[in-house]
Amino acid sequence: MMEHPMPFDHQPDPELGAALRRALQPSGHKAFVARVVARAAAAPRAGSWDVLAGWAGRGIAAALLLAAGAGFAAGRAMQPAAGASMDEALVMGSADSGAAATAVVRGSRPPDASIVFASLRP
Amino acid sequence: MTPRETQPRAGGARIEHRDEAELVARSLSGDRSAFGALVDRYAEQARRVARAVLRDPDDADDAAQDAFLSALVKLEQYDPRRPFGPWLMRIVANAATDRRRRRSVRSAEPLDPGVVGGGPRPDVVAERRALSERLRQALAELPERRRLAVVLFDVEGYSHAEIAALLKVPEGTVRSEVFHARRKLRTLLEDWKEPS
Repeated sequence: MMEHPMPFDHQPDPELGAALRRALQPSGHKAFVARVVARAAAAPRAGSWDVLAGWAGRGIAAALLLAAGAGFAAGRAMQPAAGASMDEALVMGSADSGAAATAVVRGSRPPDASIVFASLRP
Repeated sequence: MTPRETQPRAGGARIEHRDEAELVARSLSGDRSAFGALVDRYAEQARRVARAVLRDPDDADDAAQDAFLSALVKLEQYDPRRPFGPWLMRIVANAATDRRRRRSVRSAEPLDPGVVGGGPRPDVVAERRALSERLRQALAELPERRRLAVVLFDVEGYSHAEIAALLKVPEGTVRSEVFHARRKLRTLLEDWKEPS
């Protein structure tokens, strides 16, 4: 199969090339170069945005991980010891309430009013 | 100095890859004068290629400028073992095509009736100007890929293989596009030469 329709396809056509060059030739070369260079100077340095974007992505991922870790740690710190009931946790949370409070919460009978309102006495 | 002497690749002349690679490396390290040197070398070529896609010279210049700025941002992606020209011209062609797609199609400027009718030609300069206008119009009537192929091959001196890589088409397609473009433009050129 003949791939090239005409032998002159292998080489540029100098006459047509020159005519097309004249037809497409722009003017104001120096002004154009100055314009592009000025715009380039005002633009961010090559690649810097890509680097920043990469950092931003990694930063967001790291922040999410840190936040999740901090949340988990805080949750663990606030969590009562395994097996303790809610009542016990409340009692353990207030260390100064002492044996009276423990007795109130754990007792099977209704509490004595003198004990419950003991802290309200002037 | 003629435009041919100032332009890369014209007449088979190629910029030394080492030189280009050095300019690119300096541009990457923030040396704006190195980038300016690259712009200076390729500006006319880029503007001609953009003009092959966009008829309006201002649009073409805007597209060429966008391409240079885009090239600056993508400079780290350039492989210094390869010539800079085809890499840049690919960006130029894409920028021009994008701009043409974004813009509404501008109507072609009407030709001077004297030019169309083959009226009196006062001097060679006016004659050449008229021929240039006819060529630009004939070029505009060609499909975009055909326009780019013939300009990159016959004006800028790129090889079929380079143009194929640049336009992302098989080499045979580039040969065919150049052939068909030449057939049309050659006819115009011969018709123009005959009466004179």
